[in-house]
Amino acid sequence: MNDKQKEQVKTVLYNILSLIVVAVLWTLFSAWQQSPFFPPPADIWKAFVGLATQGDIEGISLARHIWASLIRIFAGFAAACALGIPLGLAMGLWPRMYNRTRAVLEPIRFIPPIAWIPMAIVLLVGFSRYAFLIWLGAFFPIFITTLLSVTRVNPVHVNVAKVFGASRSYIIRKIVIPSVLPDIATGMRVGLGIAWMCIVAAEMIGGEMIGVGRLILKYAELIRMGEIIVGMLVIGIIGFLMNEIFIVVEKRVFRWRSEVSID
Amino acid sequence: MSAKKPKITIKNLSKYFDDLVVLDDISFDIYDGEFLCVVGPTGCGKTTFCNVVTRLLPSTKGSVTVGAEAIDFKKHNVSFIFQEPSCLPWRTVWDNVKIGLEIKGYPEPEIRERVQNVLEMTGLTPFKDFFPNQISAGMKQRVAIARAFVTEPDMLLMDEPFGQLDTSTRFSIENSLVRLWEKTKQTVIFVTHNLEEAVYLSERILVLTQKPTKIKSEVGVQHLLHPRDIADPEFVRIRRQVTDLVRWW
Ligand SMILES: Nc1ncnc2c1ncn2[C@@H]1O[C@H](COP(=O)(O)OP(=O)(O)OP(=O)(O)O)[C@@H](O)[C@H]1O
Ligand SMILES: [Mg+2]
Repeated sequence: MNDKQKEQVKTVLYNILSLIVVAVLWTLFSAWQQSPFFPPPADIWKAFVGLATQGDIEGISLARHIWASLIRIFAGFAAACALGIPLGLAMGLWPRMYNRTRAVLEPIRFIPPIAWIPMAIVLLVGFSRYAFLIWLGAFFPIFITTLLSVTRVNPVHVNVAKVFGASRSYIIRKIVIPSVLPDIATGMRVGLGIAWMCIVAAEMIGGEMIGVGRLILKYAELIRMGEIIVGMLVIGIIGFLMNEIFIVVEKRVFRWRSEVSID
Repeated sequence: MSAKKPKITIKNLSKYFDDLVVLDDISFDIYDGEFLCVVGPTGCGKTTFCNVVTRLLPSTKGSVTVGAEAIDFKKHNVSFIFQEPSCLPWRTVWDNVKIGLEIKGYPEPEIRERVQNVLEMTGLTPFKDFFPNQISAGMKQRVAIARAFVTEPDMLLMDEPFGQLDTSTRFSIENSLVRLWEKTKQTVIFVTHNLEEAVYLSERILVLTQKPTKIKSEVGVQHLLHPRDIADPEFVRIRRQVTDLVRWW
């Protein structure tokens, strides 16, 4: 085993250790409190098994809740990419477009998705409500990173192509796009994370009784902490996994990038 | 050189950055097929000069013409080796070198042959599949050199291209450059602050002043035949002459 592999094994072990520490602390805390609001890990596990095998109070299984949420996320996220990337590129290439609409775009960016709930209820129905709220969360990180990355394209790289007589379209396709792709990927990863964080807000208004966010809300009404914590953990773990997968793909695709580490 | 025909005509060229006068009313001709070296103190505007000549930067006053017209990269076959690192990090060495041929629409077999030759000449063949972040700074510089040579330009601008290279690689590439130039007789503008290199390579040396930059002096070197011998008394004399000119920077 070389040093790098040793370091990786260590990293994994330490992560497991930190999980155990948190579980132990939680166990002690719940033992000390002796309250239904702080169920011990064993009860949380029971709630998880119940949700996974028998489903919730309406018999909807955990897997179906997760699947429903994932579909909503990907719909909103795909819409955010489909709009954010081309718009970011266009406004980066023609900064006047952005400068002249800045007063409209920028304030919208700071309105949290939750504040849009009443508006979404009035304007939209059904699936589009979910998609809209999630879109709101994902759109701006994707749009803004794309926009900024275009303005940061290295002018020397553009000049290299220019001097050989490249057309504007060649420069956009073969210089600007490859330069900005890694930044766009980062924007997408951040956007996906925020989209996922909006799932509870989105499922507050979607109307259907399915989805991980909805699951939490259902059990909040019943004040059953075990299931609520299961829902929270599921959201956390899925977000974590999506992010990790994205990072692995990014590394693979952009292997030409030098890795920076600040130790 | 026999019949000296101006290739690039520079008339009353000035460049200001706001109030900073960088190029101050410069006029001269660059002859067709000439190897011109430009030397000047750091920060005097050599890079700016190259950028203005190629119109990558607009001039404040004056004009630069090639033949009778403004420079046009689609019409004139130009290569430019930039002073700063200019490899495209997402392309391998091979793909970096071929970009000019790709833009100019050469057929794939010819691209392959030319890239192979130029990689051989610059000693980059073993690294052709590497990405720029996997090779050394000197190798990246050689990639930029290979990329500029491979299109066989009629105008070649080189902004301190050999600064990163060790002496032996430098000699070998300098010699390749001279051989290439003798064969193809392109017009070369070569910026350097290595005076020996200037005398070794060029036909004419343009010595610039401090900002606001003018031409301080011109030194002709065309009577020295290639390959030049750096111990030759005439070589030594010219190098001393140029050294005296720059002593007061
Ligand atoms: N975009 C710019 N805006 C403002 N000032 C600039 C700009 N580019 C260059 N300058 C100034 O113009 C002067 C000449 O710069 P330039 O890069 O042409 O020098 P140089 O002769 O190439 O120097 P070196 O030998 O160090 O490469 C410097 O004083 C620099 O500060
Ligand atoms: Mg310079």
